[in-house]
Amino acid sequence: MTGAGFETLKALIVEDNAHMRTLLRALLNSAGIKEVAEAGNGQAALTLLRERKSDLVLSDLAMKPMDGLEFTRRVRNDEQSPNPFVPIIMITGHTEKYRVQAARDAGVTEFLAKPITAHNLFARITEIVERPRAFVRCDNYFGPDRRRHQMDDYAGPWRRKDDFQQEVDVR
Amino acid sequence: MKTAVKKQPQIIAPDAYPQMMSKPNAARAALTLRSAQVAEKAQAAMEAQIPAMRAAILGYVEELEKAQGDMTLVFEKAHEIRGFAETAGLVTTGRIADILCRYMDDMERIKKPLDVTLVALNVSAIGRAARTEDGNAAMGDVVAAELAALVARRLADAGQG
Repeated sequence: MTGAGFETLKALIVEDNAHMRTLLRALLNSAGIKEVAEAGNGQAALTLLRERKSDLVLSDLAMKPMDGLEFTRRVRNDEQSPNPFVPIIMITGHTEKYRVQAARDAGVTEFLAKPITAHNLFARITEIVERPRAFVRCDNYFGPDRRRHQMDDYAGPWRRKDDFQQEVDVR
Repeated sequence: MKTAVKKQPQIIAPDAYPQMMSKPNAARAALTLRSAQVAEKAQAAMEAQIPAMRAAILGYVEELEKAQGDMTLVFEKAHEIRGFAETAGLVTTGRIADILCRYMDDMERIKKPLDVTLVALNVSAIGRAARTEDGNAAMGDVVAAELAALVARRLADAGQG
């Protein structure tokens, strides 16, 4: 069964810690994902993305000179981006709420807190392949729909508080 | 005063953009990821990494202990340790590193000075836990709980938490 569905998949790991890169590569390999490229920061990853197709990105958050948030924003929003829709799993020890929100607002697809377990990593990848999310484009955001929960019993067209005020004052 | 009509966001459905894999392959891939066979292989792959990770963590601990005057470096090293200590089986080490990182991060956010003694206490506990964790996990848990309580009190005193 190993490898089913993953034979041709290309993954990219963006992580400044060599040990973590090795671990992530080993986990992806164990699931049958054999084509794995590595970059040590967001800048190097952007270069790699342009040179080589990637179907899945695992990215750390804190890296220099370009961190995972800026990398994600560039992937989503740069005109030169080779694949603005590529799934990005942000893997980080920075689990404070404001950082999770920043990652979500940058356009990550999934967030995975360290310490990593195989179960948690595979659960995120399963979520991406089984339930791909719609993308949203608006004035200040492009990325996966940040509303994770569908309200099946909701009949109205609006859900945001300010959706009720369609016309906004501009001074 | 002018008025502007709020633009509606454009929704791009999953079928309207390139997916990671086709639907049949996605179903097969999900089964693969949930299989016991893959879980065993992944576990074996992780266990194979543990000796190298533990050696790396001990290296970070030494750098952490040397960095005590430089709080930016202390945070960086503690952050590396919390990142994969638990994956390497050093659970208490990871917990204490996480307590230290959260304390430093919160104090930075509210622009309050760090209690250097508290930082030093955490650094010392990380070092001891990393070097002795296999032998005394119960004591490590007590130390981690005490440090977490101490950090919580300091944060409360600083107006956070």
